[in-house]
Amino acid sequence: MSGSCKNCHSRSIFRDDVSGNQICSSCGIVQEFDNYDAQLGGINGPQGTFVRVGTSGSGSVLNYKDKKIYEAQKVIEDITFRLGFSASKSNDVRILVSTITEGEYGLGDWFPILVGACAYVSMRKDSRPLSMSEVASAVECDLHELGRMVMRVVEFLDLRGSEFPVFDIVGSLERAARNSPSFSRLEADILERIVKQGIFLLQCAMKWFLTTGRQPLPMVAAVLVLVSKLNEVDVSIENVGMEVHANVSTCKKRYRELLEALVEVGKKLPWGKDITTKNIVKNAPFVIQYMELKSMSKASGKGKDLENVEIDLQSAVSECLRKELEYESEVYNLEDDSQYFELQRSRWQDESNRDNGNRLNISHECLSLIYNKFLDEMAELRSSGGINEVYGTKQGRKTGFYSSTEWWEGKSELSKKLLLQQLLETDIGSQGIPPSFVSSCNAYERRKEKVNAAKKRIQRIMHPSTAPADDVNIKKKRKRKGADVIEWEDIIIETLLLHGVQEEEIEKGHYKVLLDLYVFTSSTF
Amino acid sequence: MADQGLEGAQPVDLKKHPSGIVPTLQNIVSTVNLDCKLDLKAIALQARNAEYNPKRFAAVIMRIREPKTTALIFASGKMVCTGAKSEQQSKLAARKYARIIQKLGFPAKFKDFKIQNIVGSCDVKFPIRLEGLAYSHGAFSSYEPELFPGLIYRMKQPKIVLLIFVSGKIVLTGAKVREETYTAFENIYPVLTEFRKNQQ
Repeated sequence: MSGSCKNCHSRSIFRDDVSGNQICSSCGIVQEFDNYDAQLGGINGPQGTFVRVGTSGSGSVLNYKDKKIYEAQKVIEDITFRLGFSASKSNDVRILVSTITEGEYGLGDWFPILVGACAYVSMRKDSRPLSMSEVASAVECDLHELGRMVMRVVEFLDLRGSEFPVFDIVGSLERAARNSPSFSRLEADILERIVKQGIFLLQCAMKWFLTTGRQPLPMVAAVLVLVSKLNEVDVSIENVGMEVHANVSTCKKRYRELLEALVEVGKKLPWGKDITTKNIVKNAPFVIQYMELKSMSKASGKGKDLENVEIDLQSAVSECLRKELEYESEVYNLEDDSQYFELQRSRWQDESNRDNGNRLNISHECLSLIYNKFLDEMAELRSSGGINEVYGTKQGRKTGFYSSTEWWEGKSELSKKLLLQQLLETDIGSQGIPPSFVSSCNAYERRKEKVNAAKKRIQRIMHPSTAPADDVNIKKKRKRKGADVIEWEDIIIETLLLHGVQEEEIEKGHYKVLLDLYVFTSSTF
Repeated sequence: MADQGLEGAQPVDLKKHPSGIVPTLQNIVSTVNLDCKLDLKAIALQARNAEYNPKRFAAVIMRIREPKTTALIFASGKMVCTGAKSEQQSKLAARKYARIIQKLGFPAKFKDFKIQNIVGSCDVKFPIRLEGLAYSHGAFSSYEPELFPGLIYRMKQPKIVLLIFVSGKIVLTGAKVREETYTAFENIYPVLTEFRKNQQ
């Protein structure tokens, strides 16, 4: 066992089980007492205080690594629970964390962020909607801190292209609508309709560049709020914004942009000139229906032949027009729109004389023609004084403002999630230009004007005799308007022009570069 | 006005820039070794255009007006010069800083001057469908609208990073010589036109 016998030097020493002494098996001598073993066991279990290197905590038998892994598992469990992950998904996250840390896991502030990043990456790999801001709020860290970790995880796993699909904005709308407390009390069919309309509008917004290069969630919130309004569901943009973890002021901005985009499409309707951002919410059903018809006309595969689009006169025109009447029943102050209601009445009268079951082929372009025809009829009716009777009968048919959802067909492909290519090929009646591009064009224009004004000023000073005669007027105007006051930008432009900088260069607006390159160069020589 | 990056003054050379667009250089970063140990505190006390806060950053930050640049001067004698708009300006500025250090009584030399980074920008004047670009050039691009509005395109040859924005504005960074910036832009331009959104 240990060493050799002190008497016979034989190596056959064994331990006596009863006494615990070491005895030589060849000579039978009991060896000197050397059993300093700690008395761990016994009938009564462990006794005394164990002092051992490498343990932590009192009485703990776990070493540091075991404890670290245990704590880490708790963190993973906690975060995945807060994110509402299933058991299998949580396991995926655990495996991912373990792979990345090579089984070491970790303690410290960085670890929850890593877990959050792994949760995000694992969801996104499966094309399931989970936003970074939601994870960031669950982990209680900064969005960009999480974002940096996500990018590191992606780099480590070498995820590219289809392995790491783009953020699923449509999915996140669905998720937001189904999980958000604002929508939890709704009936299933209303929620379903909201989701479908939301997806439709959201994909329109994607087409209009309202989501490109922008945080997706504020737009999701804006679309949800608009669609809820159309379905008579009362939600506030503040609540929805907070529930989807989006900045409320950005949500409001996106909402405004969405309305502006709808107004743009609405201009194509016969009464388009009356549509503004103030009344667009009331007009939105027509605009959406118009876009829906337009998108279906392409989707039907008949391409450019718009005349082939099959629309029931009743479902297309009458519903569209009837809606106006229904609006009126609640929105009494829409005096400007009265012509449409009146028109509707006339149409209904007309309709009663017609074979209702008759289906006609009609395109949405024809809609406006038909509408104009009704407008003419209306004028006749009004002159003949027949309108009042109709008015009376229709008032009796009062229906809820939003109770009818007939304007919504939901048959368009745009109500389902489309691939980007399909989405771009679908025509919805308006193309849309990114707001940032519009503002950059405006900035160019503004600078161009400033350059021209500066040139005129220089001309006036250098050649006072040849200055145009209308200069005096310009000066007067400038004083009155106040908008044309010469400011620092004009001075810089003048300086640059005098230093022979090309106009196109100035229009780009990189004043600092131009000043450094052309003006402050005295010391170069 | 010498020949210091005045492409704008002449018509664009279409052989060199087939796109007809020349990226504007916005910032040049260069380094130089003054090859002597420096007493930063003494510099900070003597030079009036210098700031030194060792608790915040272990270098003297010095600025000059012409060319309008900023330099970081380290105790080891190494110096970083930023903010110049052309290579010559950057070198001139670095020389001026070295001269200032010499005047303060240090035996400063001017060793291993090197342009480290060139940042340029330009505008293609059409909107770009970033989603499409990210999809078809997935291997090179990273488009995370949750984090950053632009698409980050890491070109391999030349090794340049491009930030591409939906408005059509492009930032090119990572070049050591300006030709790399120009080549990178000429490489990406046909790709961008592919994802251009037709203006109405």
